[in-house]
Amino acid sequence: MASEIWTEKYRPVKFKDVVGQDDVVKRVEALTNSLNIPHLLFAGPAGTGKSTLALVVVRELFGDNWKDNYLELNASDERGINIVREKVKNFARTKSLGEVPFKVIFLDEADALTPEAQQALRRTMENYSSTCRFILSCNYSSKIISPIQSRCAVFRFKLLEKKDIEKVIQRICETEKLTITPEALEILYEGSEGDCRKCINLLQSTASISPSVTPDLVSTIISNAKPKDIKVVLDYAIAGDFAKAKEKLLDIMLRESISGQDVIKAMQKEIWELPVEPELRVRLIEKTGESEFRITEGSDPFIQLQSLLASFVLAGIGKQSH
Amino acid sequence: MQWVEKYRPEHFQDVRGQEEAISKLVVFVQKFGRSASAKKAAILYGPPGVGKTTIAQVVANETKSEIFELNASDLRNRDNLREILKPASEQMSLSKERKIILIDEVDGISEADWGGLPELMALIDSTNWPMILTANDVWGKKFVALRKKSEFIQLKEIDYKTIKDVLISILRKENKFIDNNILTAISVKAKGDLRAAINDLQVAASMENPSAVLDNERNIETDVFNALRMIFKGAPNSNVTSVFDSVDVPIDEIMLWIEENIPLEYQGEELYKAYESLSKADIFKGRIYKQQYWRFLLYQNIFLSYGISAAKQEAKTGFTNYKKPERVLKIWLNNQRVAKKKSIAEKYAKFMHIGEKRALHEFPVIKNILKDPKIRKELKLEQEEIEYLDRDISISSAN
Repeated sequence: MASEIWTEKYRPVKFKDVVGQDDVVKRVEALTNSLNIPHLLFAGPAGTGKSTLALVVVRELFGDNWKDNYLELNASDERGINIVREKVKNFARTKSLGEVPFKVIFLDEADALTPEAQQALRRTMENYSSTCRFILSCNYSSKIISPIQSRCAVFRFKLLEKKDIEKVIQRICETEKLTITPEALEILYEGSEGDCRKCINLLQSTASISPSVTPDLVSTIISNAKPKDIKVVLDYAIAGDFAKAKEKLLDIMLRESISGQDVIKAMQKEIWELPVEPELRVRLIEKTGESEFRITEGSDPFIQLQSLLASFVLAGIGKQSH
Repeated sequence: MQWVEKYRPEHFQDVRGQEEAISKLVVFVQKFGRSASAKKAAILYGPPGVGKTTIAQVVANETKSEIFELNASDLRNRDNLREILKPASEQMSLSKERKIILIDEVDGISEADWGGLPELMALIDSTNWPMILTANDVWGKKFVALRKKSEFIQLKEIDYKTIKDVLISILRKENKFIDNNILTAISVKAKGDLRAAINDLQVAASMENPSAVLDNERNIETDVFNALRMIFKGAPNSNVTSVFDSVDVPIDEIMLWIEENIPLEYQGEELYKAYESLSKADIFKGRIYKQQYWRFLLYQNIFLSYGISAAKQEAKTGFTNYKKPERVLKIWLNNQRVAKKKSIAEKYAKFMHIGEKRALHEFPVIKNILKDPKIRKELKLEQEEIEYLDRDISISSAN
């Protein structure tokens, strides 16, 4: 049964359907056809097709039995390398079904593992190399230790180009009977930042309101999804209302479940919009950096953020913090 | 949701223990504009938690008026204020016939902000709508001028029996039970502050052993209050570093107390310095945890006591009603709420071959898609999760 969630419904199942990664697809397809793939490392930004290609590979290899021969793990969700090892051990204990002599383990976001954990992963990969192939995915291959890189065939995924994303969107719009203006398409692409999954999600969100996808509607959906309230927090602080700024900040952090680091990132962007002198702006940026450092050193990010807000209060009355 | 919000009264008959103040305020609103001599502003004053803001809201609700709330920074900026008030004073409200302008906690406005006073006076002269101001204490200098122009309405502390009645009725609605003695103790302890009592009740109801909320708490609270007073009010001296020795509260909890109350005592530069000190105390706390090097406790303690104390320019006088730390309760309440969001994200993540963290991160977009009943079925969402989604969507569209 086809899924109602479009990112799943329109996920490519054949090599030829994968959009925008022509070279990578060609090489991976050739390896897959030989029925003997090495370990693979897929590096590239989010939403460019890494998980999709891994799924295509296992579907090609195992046909309808792919689910029995495929284990999907996410390094940033599993608590520690030991859990990963345990799961791999259990999965690798039984032999694969069918003519392919190995099973496939997909480890998503492998760059979330510390270098030490990656060393342990390397051992695991070696121990089970007779029965398992690993496909690792990461955003930056530089965050993967070289012993692992040298054991894998490395493939680099590019950010999807505008024409690729447009192709995907046009196809969905036809099937789902949506109308979309070129301008709306443009905004959708800008908002997606080359991330195909994000783009389709935004499209479906918009379509859940109306089948006629207009620029206004897309913009509303995109801006609603951004944690824009950080600006409000800084506005309060700059206006001298520290208590309100603090209350609002806690509200946002709890409601959106965002971390201290996320808040810092959002503040960094907003500093450029603040009505302060250039010299003060530089000081605020320095304070922001200092707070980010203190969050890593300290125990309670919210205290560090409040302290940062106090600097903004000072900046609001034109004073430098020391 | 905090019970103080959930059970905030909406009608006259739901407000307990302030009948006199309400009838005065109703007369004020009804008489407004009828004669040239009628006062154009009313100041509701009284200790914290007795219902000042609530009564203003109830009166607005019952007189079919819309509340228009202003804060200190609105007052300070003249152009801004005019811009905000223009539509308020000139247009008729769309849904309600009348408006009430509310300025909450006027005495909380800091000295720096009090530059807005002339604006406020001008506003009272020119307003087309009744204005309600609330304050804890109206005997300061800044109120002299206001006294001539406004009606003063006092709210009294609520007596403990009334508080207890309210607590019992809340428990009934929540379908929870707490021992009678504990309820009496909570009501007495509140010293007339109904809001504090309801907060205590909510904490007690969430604990396995509700009486723990009271265990010596009154004494402990007095101890903490005294310690805070020494730190915030007095000139910094070396004695202050031992101020926590006699307080039977873990230092991490003291840190929350200080965090909550710095903004009540310090402003501007002092506020900044105090937070700088708190920030450093937290860094040492982090180092203690990470390295298990307990000698750092010494620094945590000094930054929390002497450091916070030394942030001020000169010793302070006057009484400050210190607040209990609220952050922990807020986090606890939120965790209850977010647990649903997490379980939804987990299901979605599994289904979509992505990480849970990413699913949570993209939740603001994803939740729109999850409105579709077919998709809810596909992800096997449970009734509670669906309720969470419906509620969340209605909240965000209200914003």
